[in-house]
Amino acid sequence: MHLDGKKAKSAEDRSSQDGRQDHDAFNRLYRENVDRLYRFAQRMCGQGEDAQDLVQETFLKAYRGLRGFRGEAQASTWLYAIAARACIRMRRKRKGEPDHELSLEQFIPTSTGELRLQIPAEGLTPEEALETKEVRRALHDAIQALPPKYRLVLVLRDMEGLTAKEVGSIMGLNERAVKSRLHRARLFVRKRLSQDGGRPRETGQALSSPAGRRRL
Amino acid sequence: MSSVQKQHASKKAQPLHPHPGHAKTRCLKIFRRLSAYLDGDLPGNVCQEIRKHVGDCPNCEVFIQSLRVTISLCRKYDTGPLPPAAQARLKLAILRAVGRA
Repeated sequence: MHLDGKKAKSAEDRSSQDGRQDHDAFNRLYRENVDRLYRFAQRMCGQGEDAQDLVQETFLKAYRGLRGFRGEAQASTWLYAIAARACIRMRRKRKGEPDHELSLEQFIPTSTGELRLQIPAEGLTPEEALETKEVRRALHDAIQALPPKYRLVLVLRDMEGLTAKEVGSIMGLNERAVKSRLHRARLFVRKRLSQDGGRPRETGQALSSPAGRRRL
Repeated sequence: MSSVQKQHASKKAQPLHPHPGHAKTRCLKIFRRLSAYLDGDLPGNVCQEIRKHVGDCPNCEVFIQSLRVTISLCRKYDTGPLPPAAQARLKLAILRAVGRA
């Protein structure tokens, strides 16, 4: 009995020590990554409560999975993978947003009016252009309109700055598939920005609408 | 309807014709590889071919520039940080959920 009691006490100590270590590791993980994850969440879900919900769900899952994380991947890549799965699940659940395939053919311009961007970005640096509300809104809307699996690739690769290989490991895709999706996602956003004010337009109206003519 | 409008209405939903003197297939071939080109993923000789074509094809030149700007805007598009109060609130909610607060 005495020996059993000692064993139990020792197991309790170990468990308490593990708990403290988890807690410390989580504090560090949260401190170092919360801004990064919130930025990612806003790009994926838009501003507002959805983004904060995604951050909370991601770190909650991370806390529970801390012992399974062996540090083979970077902590940020591990968190992106958790967040990506959570985000797609949340969006499907809340908005019934279906993923669909994008074909390259749909992005081939059909008139010269679709060749240029219809936002005030020409002759400006990207930073200057993004100071304009109209540009920020058009870009935000275009990204939000992307089917989720394409948005995820664009956000991770072009906005978060991950390599194609890292994006592939997060999404379970090979590099070739990542690059193919990225190309379609970029063409999608480009097409939206080539439409008046970033909004979809009836086909063939590029040059006949006054706004389209004005900006040519 | 003006003559310009009629002209464009007749082209409705047709892929854009390339610059005269260039094979449309060349424009489409480049179109498929534009991201790889802009990301520097293509071999030097292919890049050179593309540059040569673009130098002679105003439509491709304008299109590539618009894609380049689109990518730059995505790369520079930043959003605000999580306010400290929200950071603390979310953390507390997580710690409560795992029984550590």
